[in-house]
Amino acid sequence: MRLSGVSFRYSRRGPWILRDIGLDLPAGSVVEVTGRNGAGKSTLLRLLAGIVRPSRGSVAGRPPVVGYAPDVFPVEQPFTVSAYLARMSRIRSVPPSSGAALAERLNAAHLLGLPLGDLSKGSAQKVGLIQSLLAPPGLLILDEPFAGLDEQTRAELPEIIAEVASAGGSVVVSDHQNQLRSFPGAAHWLVEDAGVAVRDGERVRRAVIEVIVDAAEADEVEQKLRADGYLTRRSS
Amino acid sequence: MISLVRFKLAAYAGSHRLLQPAIALFTMMLIFYSSAVPAGKELASYADSAGLLIIVFAWAARGLLDTEPSGQRLISMTAAGSPGREIGAGLLAALAVNLGLAAVATVFPLVAGFSAAPSPGDLARGAGLHLLGLFAGTALGALTSRPILASPAAAMLALFGGYLALLLLSLTPAGGFTVPIMPWIRAANAGTLDEILLQVAAATFFWSAAATACYVRLRRTRP
Repeated sequence: MRLSGVSFRYSRRGPWILRDIGLDLPAGSVVEVTGRNGAGKSTLLRLLAGIVRPSRGSVAGRPPVVGYAPDVFPVEQPFTVSAYLARMSRIRSVPPSSGAALAERLNAAHLLGLPLGDLSKGSAQKVGLIQSLLAPPGLLILDEPFAGLDEQTRAELPEIIAEVASAGGSVVVSDHQNQLRSFPGAAHWLVEDAGVAVRDGERVRRAVIEVIVDAAEADEVEQKLRADGYLTRRSS
Repeated sequence: MISLVRFKLAAYAGSHRLLQPAIALFTMMLIFYSSAVPAGKELASYADSAGLLIIVFAWAARGLLDTEPSGQRLISMTAAGSPGREIGAGLLAALAVNLGLAAVATVFPLVAGFSAAPSPGDLARGAGLHLLGLFAGTALGALTSRPILASPAAAMLALFGGYLALLLLSLTPAGGFTVPIMPWIRAANAGTLDEILLQVAAATFFWSAAATACYVRLRRTRP
């Protein structure tokens, strides 16, 4: 996916939010977007997601399936979590059960029966994340996904990002807490003065290996692997 | 896109926002038909109802389009595959709700209100006028919805002010070229509606389509 000469402003006489941006987003890349509040991070993410069109310039090669999680998930809706996810699945033409499997993984299965309005900030954030993953995304855009998440999901998220990337999807994450700083191969975009400064990460090929250990040693092994900088996930 | 229309309708039904225009509709019906409409005056009565209900149709359309929180609109745009589908689904859902309200307004006087049943021709003309009213109302409601006018006070002023302006403009000699509410009310009372029906329909469709196109264009930078 490529942005060429992209400029954006919200009205004809308004100030330019972004100006003459040229960016490359190869398949399988992971990008962390930072910048101070109001710099235009969210606008850049909306341009990438195809929610708004550039005032000038062009965006080419956007993958057909885009997952997008806004910075604040809108809970003011008269649905339970499971009804909401089932409806989003139908809109995306994927089986209505897709949400339940993701909820299980993100430790959110207990939330399924709750009305959206009763969710805490962190739980709402999880639902926002789940809906963005309902169909395997060719482009995943997460606006401040780490805010309010519990420790376990915070650890799970880089793994999910790695999985989307290894399946050939591009992932763009805006993150002022810099949670992806140690993510292998992540590029970094700094949004500043209506422009974007690019710092490329090394492109690393990733692989998943399964290590089977004695249940009693699981904690120790996991700690060792994490200390060495690897991502780990318990499957049981 | 149909799943998105259904999602919007379900959210609207669950939010109880339908109550406001529904109460307004039934209040108007009760006032219109508090005394029985004499035989032969059914079309005139339908024409009044269609002209006055534009404000109710606009209110319902605005309520439906404002039901979704703005973050959800962004999610819906990516889930449906493009912003155009989200905008189209919103308009279709608003039309669907207004079709329901217009059907109630057409059937209500048949049950209670008309002293004699109208001829099939007058029933069709009455239904047709309500259809014109709902197109104009839906377009007005869309133009005053939250993405376009963020302040609720400004939006309500634009909604009621816009309707009043439509009424006043249609009273002027240029009325036939605006949304011709007054001309259709007068012609129906005088029994000459058929002579201007084509022009009335064309003008209403033109202005409704122009207002809707304007709404769609504005939404490009107001997701």
